[in-house]
Amino acid sequence: MNRALRRISIAVLVMFVLLLINVNYLQGFAPASLATKPNNARAFEAQFQYQRGNIVTVDGVTIAESTPSHDIYKYQRSYPHGPVYAPVTGYDTLYSQTGIEAAKNSLLSGNDSSLAVRNVVDLLTGKKRRGANVTVTINSAAQTAAYNALAALGKPGGVVALNPKTGAVLALASYPSYDPNLLASHDGTKLIASDKALLNDPANPLLNRAIQATFPPGSTFKVVTGSAQFTQHPGTTVNTSFASPTQLTLPQTSHVLTNDQGEACGNGSGQAPLITAFAQSCDTTFAKIGMDLGAPALNAMAGKFGMNAALAIPLSVAKSNYTIPASLALTAYSAIGQFDDTVTPLQEAMFAAAIANGGTLQKPYLVQNVTASDLSTVQNTSPSMLSQPVSSSVAAQVGQMMRAVVQDPNGTAFAFNAQNEGGLVIAGKTGTAQNGVHNTGLNDAAFTSFAPYANPEIAVGVIIQGGGYGATAAAPIAVQVIKAYLASLGQH
Amino acid sequence: MSSVTAPSPAVEPEQPLIPVTRGRRRTELIMLVFVFGLVAFAFANVGFSLSGKLPSGLAGYLAAFIVIVLAGHLAVRRFAPWADPLLLPLAALLNGLGIVMTYRLAAQGNLLTAPLSRSATIIQIAYTAIGLGCFVAVLALIREPRVLQRYTYTLGAAGIFLIALPALLPSSISGVAGAKIQIRLGTFTLQPEEFAKLALAVSFAGYLVAKRDVLALAGRRVLGIDLPRARDLGPILVIWAVSLLLLVFESDVGTSAVFMGLFVAMLYIATSRTSWLLLGFIMFVAGAFAASKLFGHVGERFNIWLHPFAGSNPSHNAYQLIQGLYGMASGGLLGKGLGGGQPYITPLVQNDLVLTAFGEELGLAGLMAILLVYGLLVERGLRAAMSVKDPFSKLLAGGLSFMLALQVFVIVGGVTRLIPLTGITTPFLSQGGSSLVASWMLVAVLARVSDTARRPPPRPIQEEGLTQVVTLK
Repeated sequence: MNRALRRISIAVLVMFVLLLINVNYLQGFAPASLATKPNNARAFEAQFQYQRGNIVTVDGVTIAESTPSHDIYKYQRSYPHGPVYAPVTGYDTLYSQTGIEAAKNSLLSGNDSSLAVRNVVDLLTGKKRRGANVTVTINSAAQTAAYNALAALGKPGGVVALNPKTGAVLALASYPSYDPNLLASHDGTKLIASDKALLNDPANPLLNRAIQATFPPGSTFKVVTGSAQFTQHPGTTVNTSFASPTQLTLPQTSHVLTNDQGEACGNGSGQAPLITAFAQSCDTTFAKIGMDLGAPALNAMAGKFGMNAALAIPLSVAKSNYTIPASLALTAYSAIGQFDDTVTPLQEAMFAAAIANGGTLQKPYLVQNVTASDLSTVQNTSPSMLSQPVSSSVAAQVGQMMRAVVQDPNGTAFAFNAQNEGGLVIAGKTGTAQNGVHNTGLNDAAFTSFAPYANPEIAVGVIIQGGGYGATAAAPIAVQVIKAYLASLGQH
Repeated sequence: MSSVTAPSPAVEPEQPLIPVTRGRRRTELIMLVFVFGLVAFAFANVGFSLSGKLPSGLAGYLAAFIVIVLAGHLAVRRFAPWADPLLLPLAALLNGLGIVMTYRLAAQGNLLTAPLSRSATIIQIAYTAIGLGCFVAVLALIREPRVLQRYTYTLGAAGIFLIALPALLPSSISGVAGAKIQIRLGTFTLQPEEFAKLALAVSFAGYLVAKRDVLALAGRRVLGIDLPRARDLGPILVIWAVSLLLLVFESDVGTSAVFMGLFVAMLYIATSRTSWLLLGFIMFVAGAFAASKLFGHVGERFNIWLHPFAGSNPSHNAYQLIQGLYGMASGGLLGKGLGGGQPYITPLVQNDLVLTAFGEELGLAGLMAILLVYGLLVERGLRAAMSVKDPFSKLLAGGLSFMLALQVFVIVGGVTRLIPLTGITTPFLSQGGSSLVASWMLVAVLARVSDTARRPPPRPIQEEGLTQVVTLK
């Protein structure tokens, strides 16, 4: 019997060894993967036991911070400027995160593997564990100006400002916005009520219109069409004359394309220099140029400007679309920013930024750097090129035309000329896109711009949903952002 | 030279002729002091991490625990002076940790899915008193393990009756969480199967000792294995049928596996025939597989085990298992400290999943220590079985030790997703009385067997003179 007992002992030994191996796996190796599983309330609540890192603008304004609280969790997240920075910070609730809070969650919460060694050192030295701080590239003056201008207009829209030389996002505003403090509540009932109210709000305040919503670009797309013309036909100059009929009958249709109010282009001769057609925003001129270039050429140029591609800044950006139309008539519409063309306000800013930066488009980025609680740098973003849509000479020519839009008396945005703006030379392009079924909706207003013309510091894209004319709804906002930013730099 | 027969030397009464194993009761006492220290430390730990100060009832709880366990120690000195000195301290340590965990969970009892009142700690200590009372009673009443052999059939019938009882009673007094394993008498619940296991272990031992020669007879040889004769298959078929009935009518997969495992292991110990092991294993797996296909609640267990994160499982059927896993994962290597974790998130953490609470708060280090304590307890039991001479005691101690190991394997393996999770109690640690009392009775039987094994043979009453050796040259 003892032999059998000895074998039973071995079986028992095997059983216990299996249990020991399994708990070693479970508690030694599996925690990292289990912590990221849905429904893991412990892992989620654990982040409220440590002080989460701050989110700060590059000029030192704190836009998200964690302060000690005295309820069920140790720290309370708060957003001192609420709705102004909501499209940047996003929110950090018990159940989910958005914005930078989501994109840099592991660093803010201190769980990131790059912080592991520091956490152990903190543990050993008895220092309290803290998440890393994230510095965003936002300029507080530009951001505040953008949000205030949007709020003053009171129409849904988005504004993005870029530093054309680096790609740093200087402003990222959306209206209507929401107060992320409502969603940082530790009171589950309150939180669910706020969440429901925001989700059911017909104004859709949670939508980040700066990067998550797309709108037809309208005439601002002529920057792309113009760039394609200069690139495909190097002999073209801004003064080259183009057919600019008052009425353009589209091929294979009976449809007649006219300019905005049916007005004549240039001097009414049916021919106009390209710069005049651009400044006046003649649809017939650019529709014809687009048809001559062909949709594939437009598509290629749109792609080089960043359309038709996903982008993360690191917040994910909705794709701006250029779809190759099936017919020549629709190509005409696509060349003037109608048909299926859609862009985000960020894309509008990217049009101007590429032109302002001599044809080189820098990759937009929102996070400047991440510093650990001991102030050592964990991550640092260095500017990188996204693409080279046009050569520097083409960029100079398109830039010249954009200057004419604002500075020439017949330009659509002449109201913001240097004389009116205290010597500040702004270059830009207005867009007024027809909208709705059979174009019955209010026009969307768009504006892409950069300034100062001689040495561009900022590129701004604005789209106002149902805003009407680009020059009256979108351009004033861009101008306010430009002036606020340059003032913060000590210029103008 | 030739030797002559020398006169026998005077034998001094202080020097026994045969070296005697020492009782080692003092070792037991010293180890019990360690146990008290550990339990006191654990109690204090809970208090400091939950409220920043010593728990208010600490002195009372601790004093009660120490008095109860010391009473057990004194009973061992009185009734089983030669018993293995490790058994009582190991069991007391597990029991003490169980009380601490009950206290810890009751302190946040309102957060539990099945709320636990503050008095749960006192109730658990009362169960401990009953458990050690039964421990003492077993030692006092059964002075020789062999006397149990007389009750082979009585206990067998009692065991089957106890198992069947909840299934026969209306579910209003026997149902809990889908399984019918309880009898509810007012607020007091009893799990008769815990005692049925002990009764059946004794019954199996008595039956197998009587029939082992017949059962060991070889029948046909297939694939190099001697199969038993067909006519000897009766008993195993009966137990198999009972375990399957348990599975089907009481939804109690875990206990069913423990019963079957217990019987097959004892059959193997009695006969040394590997074929019985194989046969038993195949029968159980085939039965369980068929049941999983035929009965939804059994199949669900397998689904939860294999695909806990699939579909709606994480928020429904596998919620409990997954929350237990999350808890253990959040504990990591060193744990959050007693009182520092959130074990209350896991449903029914005070019962079947109590080990996940230890894993969360004591970490991998603590969990391995607890598993090793179980392992030591089982090992001491098996050692007693090996050293005792009487076959009945051997079989009984071997069977009970294996049953304890199997029970730990089924529940710990279940909560750590090594095997499908089936609801059985964790011996000594789970909150509740039946399991605790039954576990103490099991340890009492092991102590009794080890006492018999280590007891020195009776000394000769009268000196009969020594045989003289004569060397002739």
